[in-house]
Amino acid sequence: MASSVCRFGSAVGRVLTKTRSPILLSLRRGQASVSYAQSLAAAPETRLTALDNGLRVASEETGHATCTVGLWISAGSRYESEKNNGAGFFLEHMAFKGTKKYPQTALEQQVESMGAHLSAYTSREHTAYYMKALAKDLPKAVELLSEVVQGCSLNEAEIEQQRSVVLRELEELDSNLQEVCLNMLYATAFQGTPMGHSVFGPSSNARNLTRQDLVNYINSHYKAPRMVLAAAGGVKHEELVGLARSHLSGVSFEYEGDAVPVLSPCRFTGSQILMRDDDLPLAHVAIAVEGASAASPDVVPLMVANSIIGSYDLTYGGGKHLSSHLAHLAVENNLCHSFQAFHSFYSDTGLMGIYFVTDKHHIEDMMHWSQDAWMKLCTIVTESDVARGKNALKASLVGQLNGTTPICDDIGRHILNYGRRIPLEEWDARIDAVTPRMVRDVCTKYIYDKCPAVAALGPIEQLPEYNRMRSAMYWLSF
Amino acid sequence: MAAFPQIWTLYLLGLFLSIRPRYCLKASLFLLRAELYSTCSSSHGFHSSAIRAPGGTRLAHTDLKIPDFTEYRRPEVINPNKYSKESGDERRAFSYLITGAVSVLGLYTAKTAVVQWVSSMNPAANVLALSKIEVKLSSIPEGKNMTFKWRGKPLFVRHRTEKEIAIEESVSIAELRDPQHDKDRVIQSKWLVVIGVCTHLGCVPIANSGEYGGYYCPCHGSHYDASGRIRKGPAPSNLEVPDYEFLDDDTISVG
Repeated sequence: MASSVCRFGSAVGRVLTKTRSPILLSLRRGQASVSYAQSLAAAPETRLTALDNGLRVASEETGHATCTVGLWISAGSRYESEKNNGAGFFLEHMAFKGTKKYPQTALEQQVESMGAHLSAYTSREHTAYYMKALAKDLPKAVELLSEVVQGCSLNEAEIEQQRSVVLRELEELDSNLQEVCLNMLYATAFQGTPMGHSVFGPSSNARNLTRQDLVNYINSHYKAPRMVLAAAGGVKHEELVGLARSHLSGVSFEYEGDAVPVLSPCRFTGSQILMRDDDLPLAHVAIAVEGASAASPDVVPLMVANSIIGSYDLTYGGGKHLSSHLAHLAVENNLCHSFQAFHSFYSDTGLMGIYFVTDKHHIEDMMHWSQDAWMKLCTIVTESDVARGKNALKASLVGQLNGTTPICDDIGRHILNYGRRIPLEEWDARIDAVTPRMVRDVCTKYIYDKCPAVAALGPIEQLPEYNRMRSAMYWLSF
Repeated sequence: MAAFPQIWTLYLLGLFLSIRPRYCLKASLFLLRAELYSTCSSSHGFHSSAIRAPGGTRLAHTDLKIPDFTEYRRPEVINPNKYSKESGDERRAFSYLITGAVSVLGLYTAKTAVVQWVSSMNPAANVLALSKIEVKLSSIPEGKNMTFKWRGKPLFVRHRTEKEIAIEESVSIAELRDPQHDKDRVIQSKWLVVIGVCTHLGCVPIANSGEYGGYYCPCHGSHYDASGRIRKGPAPSNLEVPDYEFLDDDTISVG
């Protein structure tokens, strides 16, 4: 019976190939006419110009009707001291509360009337103020942004009001356990150094920062050579440069007393911080090692390695048929609610780790398998793992750039980190160059037999003792 | 009373168990493998959501300060402005060197302790002392047989005459019940050393008696010659020759 079906099927196939056009039967029937490599090559070039005062202007003309334009500044919690930790975050709150030219209501009205979105973010090494608007509103957008950055009014009354907002935000942050866990991870991993500062700063600083502190902060860090005006969308580079010249030429490039702040290296400490609270339902645990810096050649193999471990949460479909081995184990043995492998890189250091959320009975197992996944990366990672990781990484890199805002953010951060925009083609080539041997060597360099930093929060009684976790960073059989 | 080595080890084990170090900087020597750590640090923060309570509760997790562990740090990592990975290999090498050395010492100590414990079941010193005797041969006149007590049995040491030696060496082995040449039973033919226990049923033969110029067992009439070989009578085999050696011409050590 089966053999007759097979014979019939092959007969039909032969008939079809003889009579119909090959394209109908080919697998390529539904595909695009442009290949992946061609589309990467055809991506618009990011153009970069520098003004006289050192401020860089970069843009990518994508042909959208909208645009995102913003100022990316090399300033962040890493540049703050213990006394003014949180100044950048506070400033972010104050930024949209009025400038010298536009008081608050006028500023809001300007933005709203354009139908634009004005936002900002502060991270450890970067601060960004950006606006999403229609492409034709680019001049207005640049003007408003330059006002916000250069002419922030920092009204005393407003500062007092924002204090309570910041304090409330800090309180609310405590209930975002992922944020707490990761902040504590940084605090312990880079203890005693500015990298350990959280972006938000302690509540005492939120209470005590004065207008003068904020002014000092701006004067020390908002300097033209550390700024990038980035734009993406329906923008013309020449127009953008012209606007920058007219609005941002006045940004200072000199420091008081010629004291250029230099980022000193930050020491990583293998350590742990445990915040045990048995009343919380889930445990949040993060384990990390020192990673690569942004400009290091090891970045791409490490990104591939993280793609191999991947991420998972309960909403994933597919049951246990997930390609990441750790995810497969997580489902099969009910090890966790979610996990993600992360790698944050900064100008001269980085943090690479795994963060997971689980209930109190599976912490030990999840930690064991997470570290096991790391060990496998360092020792027996296979060709198929690496191929899968590379594809996942390429897909995520390309997929992330799905709008003018992500593209603009990408441009801003790249110029600050690397001095140029790294095009997708280049990322693609670097990813293709990764081999299993390279993944093994690079992972061994950063992970194998290194002291990890661990931060854990919640009902963490089951978390293994630090020395045991440290022992799991190498295999005796290797 | 002699102090047993294993008591010493027991005492130290007890000492170790009673002193439980509280800090991460552990230093435990004695029997178990020791490792010196200085990288671990832990801090316990209490997650509290009490906002308006006065003093004692914190407002936000960012208020938590990691304590300063400079006192516990190794010199290479005290400076917060230096990358710790630069000194990483050295620090690891030092730790592993110490671990390795102490492991070897620990293993040796453990081996010694085990050997001591197990060898406590060996015969006691007084028993061992009895296991060997030394006999001064000059005290035995020619032709005479002297009896010594050795391991609870009589030991015959006989100063043989030339004639006796000649007779014994010329005996044909074929006619012996337990064939053994005289040469195989003595180291120096002048001295015969045998255990004085009749191989029949264990009586002590009488020296210089019997029909063969050697020994005669009165219990059942076994005759032994001057080489201690059975010649006549019910005994099945020759008198046993123990292990002995000549320390010098005048002394033998038996056993």
